Amino acid sequence: MKGEHLGELEELVLLTVGSLVSEAYAVIIVEEIKNNTNRKMDVTAIHSVLRRLEKKGFVSSEMGGASQERGGRRKRFFTLTKAGRRVLDQSMELRYSLYQKLPKLTFATLR
Amino acid sequence: MTHPPRLADRLLEWFCDPYLLEDLQGDLHEIYDAKSREGKKQASLLYWWLVIRSFRWSALKKNKKLKKSGLMITKNNFKIALRVLWRDKFNSAVNLIGLTIGITCFLLLGFYVKQEMSYDQFHSKKDRIYRSWLKEDYGEGQIFFNSQTPLRFEALFEENFPEVEKAVQYIEQTYLVGKGENRINERVAIISADFFDVFDFTMLEGNIDNPLPTRNDVVLSQTYAKKYFGENDPIGKVLTLQQGQDSREFNVAGIYQDIPKTSSIQFDIAFSTENSRDLFGERAFRAWFNVVAETYVLLKENAHVDAVNGKMQDVVLELMGDVGYGDGPMQRDQYNIGLQALTDIHLDPDIPLGYAPVANPQYVYILGGIALLVLIIACINYTTLSTGQSLNRSKEVGMRKVLGARKAGLIYQYLSESILLCMVAMLIGAIISYLLIPVFNALTGTEIFLQFEWWHLIIYFLMAVLIGTIAGSYPALILSGFKTINILRGGNQSTGNLTTRKGMVVLQFLITVFLITTTLIMRKQLQYLQDKDLGFNYKAVVSTNLQADPSAQRLSEIISTGMENGELLKARLEKYPEISNVAMGTHVFGTSGWANLAYTDDNGIFRWFRMLAVDANYIEAFGINIIEGRAFEAENGLDQRQSIILNETAVKHFNLENPIGGKLPGSEFGDHQIIGVTEDFHFTSLHSEVEPLVIVQNIIPIATGVSDADFVDTITPKLVFTYSGSNLLEATEILKKEWESLFPNESWNFNFLDEQIKSQYESEIRMNKLIAIATFLSILIAALGLLGLSLLVVNSKIKEIGIRKVMGASPISIFRLLAKDFSIQILIAITLSVPITLWMMNSWLENFAYRTEIGVGLFVVSGLASIIVATMVISYHTIRAARVNPVESLRTE
Repeated sequence: MKGEHLGELEELVLLTVGSLVSEAYAVIIVEEIKNNTNRKMDVTAIHSVLRRLEKKGFVSSEMGGASQERGGRRKRFFTLTKAGRRVLDQSMELRYSLYQKLPKLTFATLR
Repeated sequence: MTHPPRLADRLLEWFCDPYLLEDLQGDLHEIYDAKSREGKKQASLLYWWLVIRSFRWSALKKNKKLKKSGLMITKNNFKIALRVLWRDKFNSAVNLIGLTIGITCFLLLGFYVKQEMSYDQFHSKKDRIYRSWLKEDYGEGQIFFNSQTPLRFEALFEENFPEVEKAVQYIEQTYLVGKGENRINERVAIISADFFDVFDFTMLEGNIDNPLPTRNDVVLSQTYAKKYFGENDPIGKVLTLQQGQDSREFNVAGIYQDIPKTSSIQFDIAFSTENSRDLFGERAFRAWFNVVAETYVLLKENAHVDAVNGKMQDVVLELMGDVGYGDGPMQRDQYNIGLQALTDIHLDPDIPLGYAPVANPQYVYILGGIALLVLIIACINYTTLSTGQSLNRSKEVGMRKVLGARKAGLIYQYLSESILLCMVAMLIGAIISYLLIPVFNALTGTEIFLQFEWWHLIIYFLMAVLIGTIAGSYPALILSGFKTINILRGGNQSTGNLTTRKGMVVLQFLITVFLITTTLIMRKQLQYLQDKDLGFNYKAVVSTNLQADPSAQRLSEIISTGMENGELLKARLEKYPEISNVAMGTHVFGTSGWANLAYTDDNGIFRWFRMLAVDANYIEAFGINIIEGRAFEAENGLDQRQSIILNETAVKHFNLENPIGGKLPGSEFGDHQIIGVTEDFHFTSLHSEVEPLVIVQNIIPIATGVSDADFVDTITPKLVFTYSGSNLLEATEILKKEWESLFPNESWNFNFLDEQIKSQYESEIRMNKLIAIATFLSILIAALGLLGLSLLVVNSKIKEIGIRKVMGASPISIFRLLAKDFSIQILIAITLSVPITLWMMNSWLENFAYRTEIGVGLFVVSGLASIIVATMVISYHTIRAARVNPVESLRTE
């Protein structure tokens, strides 16, 4: 099914959400991605990806507590679900197994 | 702490799903705060940008408002429409094919009409550009009306009218271009140096702001740059033009983009009017009556053309002073100068032809009208079919109404169906039309060169919606008007006013029959034109334009030197046994604008007549009948000097009782004598009546007696011969061989006379073909409609037929029952079409001085044809219905 597929950006966001444990919300995710990969993302794009991931069941969300910042608006924190974790594992396994099949580094292939 | 732009915030709140709003807005605010440390403006801009980027499907409100909005309803409607169309494949296919054919025909004819209407529209200053015309009117038919004007007009406009920003002139001349053996006769434009400032012709290379800096420069079109210089860079190269006796070397100063075909002004080589003094003489700049150039005037931004026209007479009279025509100075309103908008040139028949060819606006409008008619037939097809079918859907309507559908909603629903169908038809039709353009061009001789552009899609889309709405509105109204209670009770529904539907079928047939008859009548007239005895032989006659001595200035010299060259060629050609009847004359048949001369006769009446200068062979070679006197005799010195021959019309025109031995009634003519009278022959096209013609060998006695002359066709002699061999192309080979050995420096040329004569009716022939295609398609559409309609009638009467058969009705009587309705409608349509056709065709036939009788026969033929088509179409279903076993039809309940 289409929903099972994980896009490249989706995977990146999913990994970031996982790595941020319980602190993940859109703005932080944008910064984190920028720090790690030097990719400049638009926060609206991240929102869109997060909504998609949530619909697929890979992340779950919950509103944080109120604060004085952001005009009193709450943050939505995302956490990785079991399904999300599983799909990341599968993806990693696939990559690793493919990576294993690469010929060992030789000078001949480097040339 | 600053706040992000409130308007952006409100926009976000408006469209965003409230469930997502809080955190999204919070995130945006956070980013805004971070950014606002760098500057408030940048932060606001960023905020706007992010709000707009947030407008995504996944973030939109999915509440009742959205679901009820037009967008969702439309989606739903189209889904249902698709299902409905799919369910009844036969009817949908009939409708779709009908609409597609109609739209294809409409588009193709529309392309043609649009193209004709779009001439000269590409100039950015088109609204301010005018072409001047000159109309001299001295009363008593002494009218000289020209779109070419004297050379002094450029200065006249620029110096005397503050409203005029610029005036430029355009002259066409034929020169031999190139060097040595490869010289080619080309039309060359002579244009004012600032010509490119007025018109939007794009310079590509060379001096772009000032394309023609000196009088020795030429500019070339891209095509001609390639033609003369191949792949080499032509800038700075030399191009040689033979002007009179001199061959002048011009410097190629620039290249311009090829002129679009929708331009009235067409030139491929141009040099500057700085040369006009050398070419036309100093006197031409002072002359008031010597028309040479088209003068184009660019008005200033806010100037109005009426302001110029208003003071024209004052300016003219002041400038002319005591210059006059005939005796005394010029009177007011005798020398009229007018302005014609540039964009009107192509389709305005009231102003005489300039250098640019024009089209007949009547034909353009007729074709536009026919395009619409065919489309109307297609729309009616849809309307009648869907209305007829609507009965089957009464239950659906009832159900919808019970469940709370409102009338407007239902109308919208049913319109969606027709619009959807039209979209599909438009898509197919547009693709087919684009593919068919080359075929269409080849078939009809039109030159459509449409380029597809993306914005056309919007037009097509809008057109599809419009056509769909028109075609679907009536059935939608009928369907949505069903009474719920009647439907549920199982009663019969009114499927609209029966008369309306019958009326539409009648209208459809009326248009079809009208088109059939029109095609037939046009064809008859064209056949008549081609079969009419013109009074001379032109089968297998080849003509070639001779060259006059380049230094010849006077008309008589041009004619005599041309004929001397012709004698050389004639001597060579006569050696071939298959070539006979070699003759020469200043004009040949199939060209318009033979030398037109005028003078004031003894009684003070101003008279025009045509003149033809020939050699002794001409009359005999063409087999022109002499009814009185004799033709020219070869080697007869008197004939060569002063004998003239008139045609019958000329005898009447000059009121000559005993023409033979007499003279033309005028005192200024030189010595001449009428030796013969020819039967009238049609030297001009059959659009106009035979004009008075004077045939001479020596033009001088006649030329000295005339006061005005007008030469549209060149007076340089042409040589004609009859070829009796089997392959006309061999004749051209002989001509080429002899020509090239005699005149190695001149380019050879030839025309087949019959083709040239036929080409006079080119636009009529093309028109006839276009209408014939439209007719064929409209018959097809109408037949399709009838096919669908007859099926509906049969279906609704299936029980009646069954009962009748049980009671013993024969298949024929059942056929009669079913066909009765249609035959009455068709008869009404045929009857109504007669007066309309008569009126339209009579006004078309007025274009011709010689016309065929319309006659009853063609109406009978087209009436019968439509009846036969209709009967054949109806019979398919009716015969099937009549033969069906009544058990089958009566069992079902």
